[in-house]
Amino acid sequence: MKLQWRLAALKNGFQDATAYRLEFLFEILGSALVPAAIQCVLWYALFDLGGATQVAGMTYMDFVHYTLVSLLFTQVRGGDHDFELAEMIRSGQLSNYLLRPVGVVEFVYIRGVAPRLFIAGLCLTIGVILAQFFGFSGTRMIGAMFLALMGNIIHYQIGATLATTAFLWEESYSLLMVKNMVVNLLSGELIPLNLFPSSLQWIWKSTPFYLYVFGPTQYALGRWSHTEFLIQIGISFLWILFGWAIIRLTWGAGMKRYVSLGG
Amino acid sequence: MGLIRYFDVYRIQLKNNFVREAVYRTNFLTAVTVDLIWMGIEISLFSVLYANTQTLAGWTREQVYFFLGIFFASDALFTILFQRNFWSFSDLVNKGELDILLTKPIHPLFLALTRSMNLTAVFNVVLGFVISYRYAGVAGFAGGWHWLEWAAWLIFGLYAALQMRFFSSIWIFWTDRSWALSRLYYQFFAFATKPDTIYPKAIRYLILTALPFAFIGSVPARALLHGLDSREYLGAAFVLLAFTVVNSILWSWGLRRYQSASS
Amino acid sequence: MIIEVKDIRRSFRSTQKEEGWKGALGLLFRPKYQVHEALKGVSFSIEPGSFNGLIGANGAGKTTLLKILSGLIPPSSGSARVLGYDPFQRNLDFRKKIALVMGQKAQLWWDLPARDAFDLLRAIYEIPDRLYRERLHTLTELLDVQRLLGTQIRRLSLGERMKMELIGAILHWPSVIFLDEPTIGLDVLAAHKLREFLRVFNQKEKATIILTSHNMDDIERLCSRVLILRSGEMIYDGHPQGLTQEGERILRVRFITPPSLDELQKITGLSQQLIQLGELEPDQPEESRPVLFNIKQDQIVSVLQAVISRFQILDMGIEEQSLEKVIQRIYSEEKAGSV
Repeated sequence: MKLQWRLAALKNGFQDATAYRLEFLFEILGSALVPAAIQCVLWYALFDLGGATQVAGMTYMDFVHYTLVSLLFTQVRGGDHDFELAEMIRSGQLSNYLLRPVGVVEFVYIRGVAPRLFIAGLCLTIGVILAQFFGFSGTRMIGAMFLALMGNIIHYQIGATLATTAFLWEESYSLLMVKNMVVNLLSGELIPLNLFPSSLQWIWKSTPFYLYVFGPTQYALGRWSHTEFLIQIGISFLWILFGWAIIRLTWGAGMKRYVSLGG
Repeated sequence: MGLIRYFDVYRIQLKNNFVREAVYRTNFLTAVTVDLIWMGIEISLFSVLYANTQTLAGWTREQVYFFLGIFFASDALFTILFQRNFWSFSDLVNKGELDILLTKPIHPLFLALTRSMNLTAVFNVVLGFVISYRYAGVAGFAGGWHWLEWAAWLIFGLYAALQMRFFSSIWIFWTDRSWALSRLYYQFFAFATKPDTIYPKAIRYLILTALPFAFIGSVPARALLHGLDSREYLGAAFVLLAFTVVNSILWSWGLRRYQSASS
Repeated sequence: MIIEVKDIRRSFRSTQKEEGWKGALGLLFRPKYQVHEALKGVSFSIEPGSFNGLIGANGAGKTTLLKILSGLIPPSSGSARVLGYDPFQRNLDFRKKIALVMGQKAQLWWDLPARDAFDLLRAIYEIPDRLYRERLHTLTELLDVQRLLGTQIRRLSLGERMKMELIGAILHWPSVIFLDEPTIGLDVLAAHKLREFLRVFNQKEKATIILTSHNMDDIERLCSRVLILRSGEMIYDGHPQGLTQEGERILRVRFITPPSLDELQKITGLSQQLIQLGELEPDQPEESRPVLFNIKQDQIVSVLQAVISRFQILDMGIEEQSLEKVIQRIYSEEKAGSV
């Protein structure tokens, strides 16, 4: 393990993201507050204007709590560094990295994850404070953030795998966009996933996306038992292992093709 | 005489874009699929909500689908005509493309904004129409020749989007970080994906009317389903007129700044 | 006179930003400006149908001048008339009669074949169909690119692309053409072809051309007149031959035992910059390295006499100064002058 370049990449990525501090702040605020506001409005419409008292076993306050807490994890989920990979392959910049003694996939991830780690720390602090205030458990909040960070890794692994289509195809970024939209719905950042009709619940259960936002939120709000949480951590590990294997496979094949075509 | 020339130039731009897409098959997938998935997600979001309630702020499921149809069609129209041109809007200043455009005997904005079209998105306009058409009857839309009105509202929404997008892009003359404002456009745009009457008054009038995002789908849908009262027609006309005036002032100021800053 | 420029000045200011938050806020509330003078009172006039070179080091104000003449930016003071128009009014008729070609900025859109890109220009300039076809035929024939008309522009070589840019720029038969470094980045052959074309076009169509270039071949072969800008001031206006023929010579002397440059300086009374060591031919001993005197025609005799009276000469020769060298000297004087 060479720690040095990893630390340097982390630092570099962080500086890069925060070079324009004001915009960085606005971006976080905007991407957090707008969807949250829209959600709260929807719950308001559903309960106050629609007249429901309980939906899928949740009250109005349950929904609002869900939205506010899920916000903390939604911020950790993101990162568009898989787009960066695809663009590197497409534009041929990948060649610059082939000469360096670092793994490209890992390098780009570390660079990209740096601001997310900062945000995760920030969100965790806010979360723990909120937990004290509203009477949730702070320990659960820490565990939930851990799960969200594992989700961040899985998300990138899927993105990196899809990015390898750029070896064959100019427009692979559209695939990444489609993935992001699907994640948007199935991670639980738009609506709590238990709103899905029971006949459709299998959809989100069969992807790892719910581990990004819905899972952490459920645990933080005390709707998952500790056992359930530990099981989900185990599942996340399996996904990461699987992701690691599939990245080795696809990138191995892609690189072979890239090099044979002369870079 | 002058007008005929503009038509002729527009015809050639259209033809050239057709040549480009037909011969070089640029990116069918990005144009259609990404929007399709997006439509799918918006629709599934509402279908999940309506699985739990009958009406949302007075909108029935079919009415919301009718609204979504208009919204998609209007947005797709924007995608066809303008979206790519705004993506490359900053090149005007940053890459100095404006220099060349200014020496041509035609309005530089006309050239800049009609350059790239995304003709495959026509498919999405049709799809938006199909969705509207499918739910029109149950939603309470009179149909018949009123479909002409439906089309007219699309143009209206297109014009609102054009003015807004222009307003968010024009700052390129003053700051090289105007992308932050373009992001803001898309964040506010998210508000427009839901019918405007479900929002609290502050958001509704500030973000959806003063900034005319609601004119893209909500206002047309309400006008077609129930009719608007005359004050709303006046308000809409006023807001669009104000934006048109402000934007043309900003353009001439921007141009002046461009000319005084360049060497 | 087709172009008339009187005492044009152009200054522009740029903001200076300090680092970090404070800098950003400072920029909002009390911006610091730095004023640059790109042109400091330039006057000249240009005859119809002439081919003129505009040269100067980077930042001398060439592009600024072209931008003013083509109406992109206004002068800070002074007046410019082109074809009888004030360029900055950007009158529609004015714009129809000029062309601006920037070697470093493409105007044709890359993902279209040239033929379609030209079609758009036809519509913009309202060129009648028959005339358009004739011109396109003539131009593509002259530049030898007919077979490339259907190729996407991004797939063309740099030289071919520049030819297409040029065709696109003059399809509307402008009376005045501004060319900003059209041969930049081109190989010798492509640059030659382009030059040849410009020469023919200027002769046949009597279009007035102003060309900037760093390539002295462009200037020497094409321009009947050359304007030299230095730090925003016009320092030469006349024939390109004027620069070399005004008696600028190189006296090349080889000594049997070479004296030091200092000694030579003393006895000839020439300044240090004018005396240099020349290139040593391969396999020759160091003693045979020539000394070069950059002097005027009428100084030759006196310098030679002074040298011969003190030192023994192996051989000597007189060469004409190349334009390239003259210009180099003018540019470097600028550097010396500005320190």
